[in-house]
Amino acid sequence: MLEAMELRKVFKGRTAVDDVSLFLDQGESVGLLGPNGAGKSTTISMISSLLTPNSGDVRLNGVSIVSKPQFIRQVLGVVPQEIALYEELSAYENLKFFGSIYRLKGKQLEAKIQELLEMVGLRDRQKELIKTYSGGMKRRINIAAALLHDPQIVIMDEPTVGIDPQSRNHILETVRLLNREKGTTVLYTSHYMEEVEQLCSRVYIMDHGRIIASGTTEELRRILSGEDTLLLKLDKPNKDLANVLRSLAPIRHVEETDNGLKLIIAKHSSLLSQIVQTAESHQVEIINIHVHTPSLEDVFLHLTGRTLRD
Amino acid sequence: MNPIFMAQWMKEKRSPIMILAFCGLSILATLLFGTGSDSKMQIGVFPAEGAGDTAAEEWLDLLNKGDAVEFVMQDELQAHSEVREGRADAALQLMENDYRIIAAIDNPNVQLVEQQVHTVFVEELQLRAAEAYKKDTSAFRTEVETYLKHPPITVQSQTTEGSQLIKYNMSLQLLFTFTLFLVMFTIGFKINSITMEKVSGIWSRVILSPVRKSEMYMGHLMYSAMIGFAQIAAVFLLFRYAFGFNLGDQFGMLLLIAAMYSMTIVALSMLLTGMVRTPEQFNAVFPSVIPIMPLLSGAYMPPGTITNEFLLTISELFPLKHALDAMIDIAIYNAGWPDVFLSVAKLCMIGVICMGIGINLMERRRV
Repeated sequence: MLEAMELRKVFKGRTAVDDVSLFLDQGESVGLLGPNGAGKSTTISMISSLLTPNSGDVRLNGVSIVSKPQFIRQVLGVVPQEIALYEELSAYENLKFFGSIYRLKGKQLEAKIQELLEMVGLRDRQKELIKTYSGGMKRRINIAAALLHDPQIVIMDEPTVGIDPQSRNHILETVRLLNREKGTTVLYTSHYMEEVEQLCSRVYIMDHGRIIASGTTEELRRILSGEDTLLLKLDKPNKDLANVLRSLAPIRHVEETDNGLKLIIAKHSSLLSQIVQTAESHQVEIINIHVHTPSLEDVFLHLTGRTLRD
Repeated sequence: MNPIFMAQWMKEKRSPIMILAFCGLSILATLLFGTGSDSKMQIGVFPAEGAGDTAAEEWLDLLNKGDAVEFVMQDELQAHSEVREGRADAALQLMENDYRIIAAIDNPNVQLVEQQVHTVFVEELQLRAAEAYKKDTSAFRTEVETYLKHPPITVQSQTTEGSQLIKYNMSLQLLFTFTLFLVMFTIGFKINSITMEKVSGIWSRVILSPVRKSEMYMGHLMYSAMIGFAQIAAVFLLFRYAFGFNLGDQFGMLLLIAAMYSMTIVALSMLLTGMVRTPEQFNAVFPSVIPIMPLLSGAYMPPGTITNEFLLTISELFPLKHALDAMIDIAIYNAGWPDVFLSVAKLCMIGVICMGIGINLMERRRV
């Protein structure tokens, strides 16, 4: 349905996106994962025809939207990362404005506004000004504003950044509803692994402007099939212990956590006794050891050597 | 275009404080500075040592028969002090048959005083000289006064077109200046909302809709021009009907010039918006640049005060100068379209150039 091919974008000599290719099939929910500055927003700006790539192409059902941007604009809804709403107007007035720019009017517009307000759970507060809303409520209206014209494809750029858990759950539920019940194709960008794991059937992982891995969440986890993740809970932090463990050959990565250490080790390596002995020699008590199923976060760590929130 | 226009109007209705504040400031500034501008200049007078108080009082009566300057008797030290400290343009020392002007600097006001005093003294001393040859001096004075009621020669001042010379109305100039000056802020800050929308992402959202970019610009530009025009029209109507200002017989023409001026300021604001990167930069640059325009155009001063060629050339670049010239010509001198054609043409040309460059700069910039 929608295909980006070898996209490249350079800003003042700095390559923001380099050789990015991805595709979305109809009704799919695809995640675009990466830390801040990975090039996700630039990529979706090119896919949504807001930015022209330096090279590469974006095709919707075989038609290049670089040369015919209006082709995608008719069927696209974009939820930007910023709160792109008029703060001085109410939620209802904002939706009325965004509906009217899509030539909706009268009863059709009114019905759509009420349907979306119901969907995002703000129908009873529609007359209040946006500037009086919480961050989460603003984000929910920000999503509703992109759905007024019933788009076939929705691109969401980090829609849950900086909001309360209640609004976050509401947004995730809205995305699920859109994709599973209405059949809307969704491209969801985030740096929250768990969101992408919950919502998306396929994932692209970006870093430094490039796609570094892609596939279903299971396929990506299989990248770590040769590794185990051990979570050690310690009675006290100890930097020397972390450094010594780093020097042990089967241990591929050591990361300090809030209450201990996270180790990525080669699968089936018999390291437990060695780890316990090393801890004892540093007078650190291991309270418990947890063997962790690899997550996308671990995949990212494995691929880049850093966490998504670095 | 309509949804964009209406969204701006909805925002205005929610928060009309800016336009009301600038309307209020236009009115306040004109009332403060404009209504006092036609009052007479006061000059302190004191008798010279040895000159009698009676003689000084007589001269004072004669001097105060003129229109432009009011002479008041004052203590010598106080008169000197006021001139020294710049609170008075000049003071006048009266002698029996002569006078002396005390001034710190030579300015047009001092020359005006000098001219009036000189005329009064020359006339009076000529009469006194003639009286010396008459026995009945009071009869002579009466005879002269009667004779001057029907003088053998009368002088009439006319313009080159043959019409009556009209007294310049400084209050009206200040009304136009303050109104045109303050409306620049209203329009500028409205135009800045384009950059605000670009930063907030609203602009991108609208770009993705079926609304064309030209419609997006038109919505913003038309709204800003209309709100600016409404502000000018409201202030003019208020001064015409509530404060009784004489805005001439061609009020419709004045409003047309106001409409053209609003469009030109929209274009100028677009140019400045295109030169900056963020709304905050605009908010810093715009209020710093705009106040220079009326100053360099001489809009706060009587016509002809600025004579520096460089300043006069610079002022040609400012829309305020051309709109002001046209409005003054229409309101005070009852000028028609052919008379104000040059000002209007310059105004429109500035508008076209600024709009062309402004939109180009805005479209090149990536927010």
